[in-house]
Amino acid sequence: MIHSELELSENRPLSNAKLGILILLGAETMLFAGLIGTFLVFRMGNDLWPPLSHANIQLPRVVTGINTVLLIISGYTMFLAQRAVQNDRVKDLRDYLIFTGALGLLFLIIQGSEWIQLIQKGLTLQSGVYGGIFYVLIGCHAVHVLGAVIWLIIVIGKAMAGKYSSISYTGVETCTIYWIYVVALWPVLYFLVYFA
Amino acid sequence: MFRQIVLWVLVIGFVGSLFPIVVDACPNCKNLDEPIARGFNWSILFMMAMPFTVVGVIGGSIFYQFQRANRNLKV
Repeated sequence: MIHSELELSENRPLSNAKLGILILLGAETMLFAGLIGTFLVFRMGNDLWPPLSHANIQLPRVVTGINTVLLIISGYTMFLAQRAVQNDRVKDLRDYLIFTGALGLLFLIIQGSEWIQLIQKGLTLQSGVYGGIFYVLIGCHAVHVLGAVIWLIIVIGKAMAGKYSSISYTGVETCTIYWIYVVALWPVLYFLVYFA
Repeated sequence: MFRQIVLWVLVIGFVGSLFPIVVDACPNCKNLDEPIARGFNWSILFMMAMPFTVVGVIGGSIFYQFQRANRNLKV
């Protein structure tokens, strides 16, 4: 009975899970819009950016640019994972999911090492508006990437257990939507924070 | 009742338009130097656009899913 209800839900034009993830992403967009709005106030309110107090600090644009490329590739591999499960290629699904998760982890590790360097140079959360908005905005996205990686690990576990097929793959689909959202958001934040 | 309300609104609007005054829509922006005011302006415009964008994208996505399902049913 429960199984048939699940199948019925998955066969609807828009499953409950998909609708739920769309609403979640709407809320996430509003959260990031608020943060970006705050950044715009501070950035446009200061002719000098970074302010004089942080003039010696250079954000690592090149390394972060490479990191951005890695994250975009992970978005593509996640898309390929969904394609694989739609075509019942379960082994490919596992491979793509693991590759995507590894890229996500690599992104977080590189960003973490950048933060350590910036903190050592004196850019902290308490060091004025510049540090505050940088860590809040970029950190908020990093927390989302971390959440996406944890979610992906759960999906990988279920894929290993053979829970997904071309008939039933809502878990992969919702995780893909969330992952691609997090990936698509990053270039916007990167250009805004590192180049504006 | 409804007509009376509309009539009063029109009368008040007409009388108000005879004595125009300049008001600051955003009390935070009053007396601020220009860059901050510009920052507030862009931020407000950006955040105003967001609800429409979110509702538009979610609504559009739901509409697309149903259209696609209908097409598949016909085929």
